Amino acid sequence: MTVPNDSDLYQLSGWIVILLLVLLYGGTLLVSAYIGKKKENADGYMTAGNKVGFGISAASMTATWIWASSMYASATAGYTYGISGPIHYGLWGALMILFIYPFGKRIRAVAPKAHTLAEVMHSRHGRSSQLMLAGSNIVGSVISLTSNFIAGGALLALLSPFSFGQGVLTVAVGVLMYTLWSGFRASILTDFAQVVAMLGAVAIIIPVVFFAAGGPGMFEQGASNLTPQQSNFFSSDAFLNQGAPYIAAVLAYAIGNQTIAQRLFAVREDLIKKTFITATVGYGATVIGIGMVGVMALYLGVSPVGGDVNNLIPQMASTYLGPVLLCLFFVMILGALSSTADSDLSALSSIMMADVYGKNIAKKANPTTMLLVGRITMIAATAAALIIASQQMDILDLLVFVGALWGALVFLVIASFYWNKVTNKAFTTSVIVALAVFIPVRFSWFSMDGATGVVFDILSAAGIGTVLGLMVFGFFGLKPAKIVGALAAVASAPFVIGFLHDYTVLTGSLVAYAVRARSFAT
Amino acid sequence: METILLTVYVLIWLVIVAGVLWTVCRGFLKYWAESRKAGRSII
Repeated sequence: MTVPNDSDLYQLSGWIVILLLVLLYGGTLLVSAYIGKKKENADGYMTAGNKVGFGISAASMTATWIWASSMYASATAGYTYGISGPIHYGLWGALMILFIYPFGKRIRAVAPKAHTLAEVMHSRHGRSSQLMLAGSNIVGSVISLTSNFIAGGALLALLSPFSFGQGVLTVAVGVLMYTLWSGFRASILTDFAQVVAMLGAVAIIIPVVFFAAGGPGMFEQGASNLTPQQSNFFSSDAFLNQGAPYIAAVLAYAIGNQTIAQRLFAVREDLIKKTFITATVGYGATVIGIGMVGVMALYLGVSPVGGDVNNLIPQMASTYLGPVLLCLFFVMILGALSSTADSDLSALSSIMMADVYGKNIAKKANPTTMLLVGRITMIAATAAALIIASQQMDILDLLVFVGALWGALVFLVIASFYWNKVTNKAFTTSVIVALAVFIPVRFSWFSMDGATGVVFDILSAAGIGTVLGLMVFGFFGLKPAKIVGALAAVASAPFVIGFLHDYTVLTGSLVAYAVRARSFAT
Repeated sequence: METILLTVYVLIWLVIVAGVLWTVCRGFLKYWAESRKAGRSII
């Protein structure tokens, strides 16, 4: 069988697609109706009463962390960087869930009944830091929502007779329908069903594609399609271009993101560790596993349809899966993007309910009004995401900006949970300084030639120390963190100085970490 | 040898995914049974 290199992909018929959409969104709507209450309460709508059991919490954490883009990006990493590519996407993303677990335990200990991270910031040191964190999450969640709607539209346009616009609208309405009434409770219970579909599909699809594409023989016949770097499991290209920037970015994303924090506040406190470990393994195996499709495409010498690497997964699925498994694949991707989209809606509604209405508008918050605010937010956010999706804005640029914003906040958010001396002024100043350094470096607004490059390389080495120190701090405390941070900065310096400034994404992130830690300390 | 290692590398993930799926489903069913017995909602 040959892989089509142009646009003659196998498509599902319109009626089959309608049936699948009715089954998926109709099913989740039924689940939502099953748990629906005539009188929802605001706590349930935001955190399900802080006592969710293990199966649901682990499934929900896994489903939220896996979005359609992470599946596409892992396959792209495999196709671009070769056999180690999916590891440099999936493994680091998975480990970040594990690394925030000790911080999660601390956050629950400090604020056991909180609904949002920003709400905790308000109680620790005031309005400015709260609104910065809430604002960054509003922007981040609307962008993530848009990105998932776009992924749904692209999937329907590629594998069905329906247009991109029809696909975007269908996914948006489908997700809003089942999330609107019961909020977070509906989001996490439907996450369970979506995880079962996603993980089940991955377990079936990977071996089917592997054997249909030629099995082990493809590695012998296609070896010549790989460069030496692509066939090296310890590829420096893969680490420096994919793995390292991702470690720095995703650490910030995991800690600053309300969708993850919301699940942390929801799970029963004694189940936090078990939940995080299961989600770590589940996310890692699923995303790396799907990334193997990209590695197989590389060995097979596939060219992505239209030159767009995001088409690789649908292209391989369309070629090697029969109609029944193609339906399963379709459900897997829709499940991935819907579970993240409903988490974004729940996160947005909680922020507007607790941070904006509860802390900044109402003198005494009325639970009925809070619920109304939450539901109106979901409808408004869906409408905003639909408008952005129709404008075809560059989502990647927007995500980079939000990543920088979270990167600028994460050190301070962590410090706030351990140190009572963090003030509103210190928080705000540090964030502004970190952003002022990150943005010019990330977008190469000035030359890095000569001494300038060396200065930023030294700062990058300090940034490496900060990132590793943060990771160690969560598990082992301040003293080991300082030792590991200092050793990492010194040990990495000879390999970094005179070299790293050519990698602007990585340098920008590391310098932001270093500057933030330094400005905060002073 | 390299071919065998690559084959294991590509296919090992589905085994881990299946293990996680089993763990999560078992946790869900156990909690559901407990909730039903106690007469409370699962969520």
